[in-house]
Amino acid sequence: MNSIRARLIIALTILVALVSALAATVTYQRVLHETSILFDYQLRQMALSLRNQVSLAPRIEVPADQGDADFVVQIWDSFGTRMYLSRPGLPMINQTVLGFADLSVQGEAWRAYGLQTADGVIQIAQPVRVRGTLARGAAERVIVPLLLLLPLMLMAVAWTVRRGLGPLQRLASEVQRRDARSLKPVVSEDLPIEIRPLADELNRLLLRLQAAFAAQRTFISDAAHELRSPLTALRLQMQLLDRAPDEAARLEARARLGDAVARAIHLAEQLLALARSDPQEAVGQVEAIDLSAVAVEGVADCHALAVTRQVELNLESSPTVRIAGEEESIRILIRNLVDNAVRYTPSGGRVQVRCAQTSGGALLEVRDTGPGIPAADRKRVFDRFYRHAQGHESGSGLGLAIVKAIAERHRAQIDLADAPGGGLQVSVRFPRSP
Amino acid sequence: MRVLLIEDDEMIASGLQTGLRQAGYAADWMRDGRSATAALQSTTYDVVLLDLGLPQRHGLEILRELRRGGNSTPVIIVTARDERENRIAGLDAGADDYIVKPFDLDELMARVRSVLRRAAGRGDPRITHGDLCLDPATRTVEQRGIPVRLSAHEYSVLEALLQRPGTVLSRAQLEDRLYGWDEPIGSNAVEVYVHSLRRKLGSELIKTMRGVGYFVPKP
Repeated sequence: MNSIRARLIIALTILVALVSALAATVTYQRVLHETSILFDYQLRQMALSLRNQVSLAPRIEVPADQGDADFVVQIWDSFGTRMYLSRPGLPMINQTVLGFADLSVQGEAWRAYGLQTADGVIQIAQPVRVRGTLARGAAERVIVPLLLLLPLMLMAVAWTVRRGLGPLQRLASEVQRRDARSLKPVVSEDLPIEIRPLADELNRLLLRLQAAFAAQRTFISDAAHELRSPLTALRLQMQLLDRAPDEAARLEARARLGDAVARAIHLAEQLLALARSDPQEAVGQVEAIDLSAVAVEGVADCHALAVTRQVELNLESSPTVRIAGEEESIRILIRNLVDNAVRYTPSGGRVQVRCAQTSGGALLEVRDTGPGIPAADRKRVFDRFYRHAQGHESGSGLGLAIVKAIAERHRAQIDLADAPGGGLQVSVRFPRSP
Repeated sequence: MRVLLIEDDEMIASGLQTGLRQAGYAADWMRDGRSATAALQSTTYDVVLLDLGLPQRHGLEILRELRRGGNSTPVIIVTARDERENRIAGLDAGADDYIVKPFDLDELMARVRSVLRRAAGRGDPRITHGDLCLDPATRTVEQRGIPVRLSAHEYSVLEALLQRPGTVLSRAQLEDRLYGWDEPIGSNAVEVYVHSLRRKLGSELIKTMRGVGYFVPKP
């Protein structure tokens, strides 16, 4: 049974029973031992006192037995004739041993003491049963209060446990009141120290959840607002197409409508890429991949744009550069970096992509001859929907956020720096593949 | 009518500019806060379309500065931010109207006409002058109830002159109303339009003040 209360009660009952049994046994043994010593002493003292009387007056009248005394006194003369027997009705003890002896008479155990005198032998005997009865009595007196105490103890346990578990119940009902909208921490100050770690951990979890939910809400709100721009452009161009006064205007509106659609599609794709590259998500198909081969594909994806914008784009790479990762994600990372570099580089400029094996792992470097990013803005450029102050490009504002998310997933480190000779240099360092 | 378009998104701005020009407005486009402020200082506009999320300077800052400087040019905020607080902040900063992206071009044009009307202190959307009646919404003109066909530029010149009868407008002022900065201006275009307006509507309507410009006398 998985109940703290039941377990405590069972354990306590067993414990009290064991303690009672042990106490009773020990008491019985000790009392038996002590009464034995005491009674033995008594036997001997009686024998000695009788010897003095008998030697002074051999014919002395030994007082008649009262009938219920435990002791049996016998006196023999030096010829072995029994001169005195205190309780004639009892079975005869027809033997005598000097000193202490355990005798058995008709199935009953006796303890006897024999004493040699000048005229004969005096024997005092007592049934052993008397000693046992005394010891049992003492043991009972110990065990009974303990047993009487048991129900009281059980009640006390039940009460203490219920009181002790009260804070847990309160905590449970507090947690029950939490949901996605109210994730405020539970009160943990007045909780017992045994439960507080649980509440503290719970609070930390709630805070993390709160942050995650807030980030999610912000992202959705931002994404919705960002979607409005391409949609506005779409709607505008559609209406302009409708009302174009002549063929030339119609053709232009048509072309711009196509651009607006492409832009909306691009934003949707980037949003999807960002959602898929969430660092919280488990990494999918991790395999040993050749970074240089993926870089060739990623750079090729941006070739057309570079030609249109008259930017020289080239790739310099070692034959094979091994990293562990998801091929598709890495390709998206490279494409976003190169696409960004090409877009921000004025025509006639140059974008260089380099990838190499290093001692610590692998390095991907994208260097352009564009305006660069001021050091103060370098942290913020990875924010979602962040755009350059001078940005004349209507990108999604998600490119670098995607790059960052993918890099985090691959435990890669990104650094932004001024390229030698102006422009931006982005370095992505991948850890050594295992 | 000259419109200043302050918008950082090229696609939206170029679409709006085309739409405005097709409707007969001269439209200048500024893509960031700094050049927008400069344009507002150097040129008189009839209406400003203002996006809020601008690089360098926030749209509201531009608006507040404009109003603090005593400029009461009608401003319509055109933005993707539709939260109540944003609308309140925008209107309280001095905007005359607020429209949320993605907007309908016809609705935006109607709002432009509406703020222009209010700026001119008229309630009736139509402009009447003697036997003439202009409808800015449809950009049509009637004389004694009979429609008169005017080109877009002819209409713009007539509208400019009729908005403040008695005020003399120079040739340069009229050109400002007709062309954005990046549009080519014909050498004596204004004279050509005035001439054809006189031909279509009667020679008594538009008077010339020699060496100064043109005006329509108060009725």
